Amino acid sequence: MECREIREIVSAYVDGEAHAAEVRAVEDHLGACPACRSLAGTMRVLGDGVGKIEGKVPPGFRDALFDRLEREDLLPRRRSLFAFAVRWTAVPLAAAAALALFILTARETGKGPASPPETLPRVAQGLPGGESHVSAGPGATSGSSASVPPVAGTAPSAGGTGPVDSRLSAESSRFAAEADGGARGLSAEEREIVAYLELLEDPSSLDEPGEVDEMDLFEPAAGRRGSPG
Amino acid sequence: MALYREGSRDAFEELFARHHRKVINFCIRMTGDQARAEEAAQEVFLRIARAAAAYEPTAKFTTWMYTIARRTTLNFIRDEKGEGERLDAPTGNGEETFSRAARLPGPDSLTPEYIAWSSQLREKFAEALRALPETHRAAFVLNRGEGLSYEEVAAVMGVTVQAVKSRIFRAREMLLDRLSGLIG
Repeated sequence: MECREIREIVSAYVDGEAHAAEVRAVEDHLGACPACRSLAGTMRVLGDGVGKIEGKVPPGFRDALFDRLEREDLLPRRRSLFAFAVRWTAVPLAAAAALALFILTARETGKGPASPPETLPRVAQGLPGGESHVSAGPGATSGSSASVPPVAGTAPSAGGTGPVDSRLSAESSRFAAEADGGARGLSAEEREIVAYLELLEDPSSLDEPGEVDEMDLFEPAAGRRGSPG
Repeated sequence: MALYREGSRDAFEELFARHHRKVINFCIRMTGDQARAEEAAQEVFLRIARAAAAYEPTAKFTTWMYTIARRTTLNFIRDEKGEGERLDAPTGNGEETFSRAARLPGPDSLTPEYIAWSSQLREKFAEALRALPETHRAAFVLNRGEGLSYEEVAAVMGVTVQAVKSRIFRAREMLLDRLSGLIG
């Protein structure tokens, strides 16, 4: 290929835009032609010269442009701090409010008429026998109801309204109240269970001062609790 | 750009931060004057903001940006038509120009590392560049100055790749004709 035919391709070659076949042709020619090799260098220098021309960015360039953009209503204005606060706190606040409302209504629902009535066994209430799961009568057994565990140390007594029953009732009520205050969200049945569990832990709390534990009856008199000996 | 169209001010701030220097450099390479370049660059960004709705996300943003920049600077150049010396496109095949170039000192003296771009040389080069016909100048500046490929230059200018190739070659011929006494 002659020099004048290849010069335009040399221009694309120095710009990295020659095709593969053109690259081979140029490199073959440049290898054999010092003049075109010199020309390729000159072309490269001329291309580099464009990059040497750089403009200055004056200090107020951006501000002047943005002022003009705002005047022409082409640039959204910055949102106010109030709007920003509302935007980014509204969702979390709404979620917190919804959660609080849910918790409150759940508690209310637990005390409402639709929920099982908060009733302790009659013996815990100090009431006479009847519908009580733990009958006060002598024939009653602790296994008459699976829902109420037998209270250790408190065998069914002859008198359902005796001091044990009333004390049990008082303790259970107290425990139930504590359970109610300390275990929010428990159902009535759960509160009842908690109250009886407290009694199981410390059945002697039901004993009146001086009262003899039935289990101690089998021990020598000297070892009986509450016994004067 | 898509975020700016949706009303994000920060998106435009980001666009400006990324591209304002490129726009100013392009404008000064095309206009040859700092004051005109600043004015043209402001106008380019205003046009970008006004035309945001017309921007197609599938197109490369820089291609679109340079299209606007080139049209903007063209208006500024037309305004100064008749001022200063202009080089016409060469009518011949440039044989004389490149033959003269071939008689310049050997390849080693024309390597980029050897050429010392003094302020005088830069000034002369800028004058010679400014004297080129706008179509040749734009093609040469977009490729060599802004780093666009021939294909991207063709997209910006709305011409074929072959047309870009020819224009850049002719631009080099004309520049060499004007600067051969300084380069080498």
